[in-house]
Amino acid sequence: MTGGEELSAAGRGAVWWHRLRALICVLVGLYLVAPLVIVLIISFSSAPFLSFPPPGLSLQWYDNLFGNPVWLRSLITSIEILVPTSILATLLGTAAAYGLARSRLPAAAAIQGFLMAPVVVPVIITAAGIFGFFRHIGLNGTLPGLILAHTVLTVPYVVATVGAALSVVDARLEDAARTLGASPLVCFRRITLPLILPAVLSGLLFAMVTSFDELIVSLFISTPRVRPVTVQMWSNIRGDVDPTIAAIATLLFGFSLLALLADHLARRRSAGGAR
Amino acid sequence: MKTMSDGLEHFLSSLKDAQVSRRSVLGGGAALAAAGVLGWPAAARAGAFDGQTVVFTSWGGSYQDAEKAAYCEPFAKKTGATVLQDGPMNNAKFRTMVEGGSPDWDVVDVTIEFLYNGVESGLFEKLDRSKIHTDRLKPEFVHDYGMGCIAWSYNIGFNTNLIPKGKHPTSWADVFDLKKFPGQRLMRDRVAPQLEIGLMADGVEPAKVYEVLATEEGIKRAFGKLDSIRDNVVWWETNSQSQQLLADGEVSCGTILNGRVYDAAKKGAPIDLDWGQNIQSVDYLVIPKGAKNLGPAHGLIDEMTVAENQAKLANMIAYSPTNPDAFASIDKEIAPWLSTKPENAAKGFVINAEFWRERLDELAQRWSEWKLS
Amino acid sequence: MQGSLKPGGYGLLVLPACALLLVFFAYPVFWLLLRSISEPHWGFANFQVLYERSIYLKVLLNTVVISLLVTLCCAVIGYPLAYTMAHGGPRVRRLLTFVVLVPFWTSILVRTFAWMVILQRQGLINDLLLWLGLTERPLALVYNRTGVLIGMTQILLPFMIFPLYSVMLRIDRSCSWAAATLGAPPLRNFLRIYLPLSLPGLMTGGTLVFIVSLGYFITPALLGGQRDIMIAQLIEQQISNFGNWGLAGALSLVLLAGTALCLALVRRFVGGQAPWGRR
Repeated sequence: MTGGEELSAAGRGAVWWHRLRALICVLVGLYLVAPLVIVLIISFSSAPFLSFPPPGLSLQWYDNLFGNPVWLRSLITSIEILVPTSILATLLGTAAAYGLARSRLPAAAAIQGFLMAPVVVPVIITAAGIFGFFRHIGLNGTLPGLILAHTVLTVPYVVATVGAALSVVDARLEDAARTLGASPLVCFRRITLPLILPAVLSGLLFAMVTSFDELIVSLFISTPRVRPVTVQMWSNIRGDVDPTIAAIATLLFGFSLLALLADHLARRRSAGGAR
Repeated sequence: MKTMSDGLEHFLSSLKDAQVSRRSVLGGGAALAAAGVLGWPAAARAGAFDGQTVVFTSWGGSYQDAEKAAYCEPFAKKTGATVLQDGPMNNAKFRTMVEGGSPDWDVVDVTIEFLYNGVESGLFEKLDRSKIHTDRLKPEFVHDYGMGCIAWSYNIGFNTNLIPKGKHPTSWADVFDLKKFPGQRLMRDRVAPQLEIGLMADGVEPAKVYEVLATEEGIKRAFGKLDSIRDNVVWWETNSQSQQLLADGEVSCGTILNGRVYDAAKKGAPIDLDWGQNIQSVDYLVIPKGAKNLGPAHGLIDEMTVAENQAKLANMIAYSPTNPDAFASIDKEIAPWLSTKPENAAKGFVINAEFWRERLDELAQRWSEWKLS
Repeated sequence: MQGSLKPGGYGLLVLPACALLLVFFAYPVFWLLLRSISEPHWGFANFQVLYERSIYLKVLLNTVVISLLVTLCCAVIGYPLAYTMAHGGPRVRRLLTFVVLVPFWTSILVRTFAWMVILQRQGLINDLLLWLGLTERPLALVYNRTGVLIGMTQILLPFMIFPLYSVMLRIDRSCSWAAATLGAPPLRNFLRIYLPLSLPGLMTGGTLVFIVSLGYFITPALLGGQRDIMIAQLIEQQISNFGNWGLAGALSLVLLAGTALCLALVRRFVGGQAPWGRR
């Protein structure tokens, strides 16, 4: 921009708007990210309170986290839930998305809507419903119960990401392969899967993060015997807050960040491949 | 000194365990007979509950930490059971859990009014006295459905940075006086004891509180008085919140438990309490109806009755023991904080559990609706 | 051809996911909603209670008001950011996308906890305000409506930004530049040309934020006061504290109906599918 008096009123206004917008963006960016950074810093605090800035640094809260059987146990429980959940959700979700994309089912839109429903229906309703149902059939407070419930919540994400990727894969490629005699399975493995793999991975990552972070359904259907880390964190937040919670929060945050990064890499590679 | 007595206690208990387990090797019958002769409950055998878990639920924070150290850990060490901690305890949740069949909790720390009230609705397992040393406790703490574990009181707590000691509120009327004492108020989000407190704040003498509460006008009067300061009240659900709110100065004064004030003050928080018009209460350990692990549950309750364990808990959080032998081992600096100290007890009164036995359900419902309105 | 599948055969691939959702999602939700008329006995007693007891209506009103306020805040804050993302340089765009995505992928519980820490009486914001001399006493920023709004707006902002961004990307700015060279003042220019073009994004984002807010639980439960209870908290309370499945079912039905209504409205006015999901 050239400065000064020659600028029209409109131009000057534009400059101001530009600066204001930059300022707003910086502030909103801080608003979005700063809370997480602050929690990260507090988790390394040497003080027994959640004060900021911390008076000194230490690893005591991580010590506390990994030395405490309760936290350790709940972390392990979370992993025991998220691994089968993400695999199951990825398998079911990819199959469903593929089926929807390649078949000409008359009710495809309705089926897709149904598969997305767990994201649309408020989680509190799903949680309460599953809790009531599980109490009847004895799945409450069991690992299989938690895995099934988490799979329900994560399938839609896989269906959505894989579905989006499939919509840009040219079905004629498969047709061509099939006329050359390839079976549908070979077709899928050799042609379609490599093309949609980044999306499948992305769905898997997102299912992992969603399961790891899930609180509301777990809150209803877990018991002290099987308790994922978010529920443990929830009950601690409502009771005694010390920087151990900041440490566990940082751990969850780090996990999300890692997954986001992996997702980014997967997508970049696929974008590069497409070009 | 303390660590030495801990060591001694462990040494003694290991001796006792060794003795019993040697007998149990000789045959189950002999062990049982030995248990009978020695007055040992069969549950105290070493490794008796190997591989079993029992879920212990209490009020969270420093109190549950003390219970964990004083009863749960020695019990786990002796019997091989795993004790899982849960909480904080919530009367409504307890009730829902029992009514829904299989409760998640095995041993729960409840207050006296909930014990009395819950017996009416059949919420607890009847305790098997042959498995618990009831003789160790003062008789008034032994109940068919619960064993008293601590005696404590609701007090007027205040933040000493906001309200200097000496100029602090000494009655509930003072606490409700927003002009005399600036700042927000701390109140418990529960109908008992807040109705009693509301009436005292409105000028009802402690001795007449339950007489007035027996009438509908009395209850309306209590709610009305609470209404008058409602906009300046921060309600606490868990005891840890009450400590945090008062220590941080989020509130300047209000309802808090004596042991929690001691605990926070010991850790350096600027808080103190007054004994004026304190309301004394008792906690009991109970087993929810339908709990699955009755054996280890009784064992854990029995572990609570041991004098050394109770003294250890009192030294951690200043709640009074129910086993009279425990008083001898309580540190000198703890004594002034105990609600059972005669001078302290004289300044207040004991909660009327008989009143709450009949009225708790109805008034708790009314309370939750009042809170939303 | 050996082992070939007809187009219909692919349809079978949908079955496992559908079966899972039918048994562990559709049936449980239906079961819950049925409680509203089957418990404690058949009839509409639960809805009558909802309608007659002012406290429940108050919670419903509270929910709508908080959701509207959050939507408004998200729109005001999210709009300039989405604009910069859409029309800034590639580096700015990458940076901002990252800034929006990071919290988006982070658990709501973690973000809510962060706000608890920052907004408390001795938290960062109050320390800052005191230090700047803007206030003499720490402000009550948490355990009240202010806390809920601050927390929920931050958490739901991405739901506003992404739809806005995708619409703004497609807006051809040459027409607003043309207007500018013809001497139209920027504000009028913006209101007359740009804003109407970005309206579909604003509507989609707004509806998304509003719908998600309606069913919010974690943030109001941790950052809100006793008087800012929202419908999801009431449902939880009715089930785990009172075992009142009938009333919980009725409340769920109201919440679901409200959500469906908003969805239908946005379909009607904006058309197309709302971009679901956290991304």
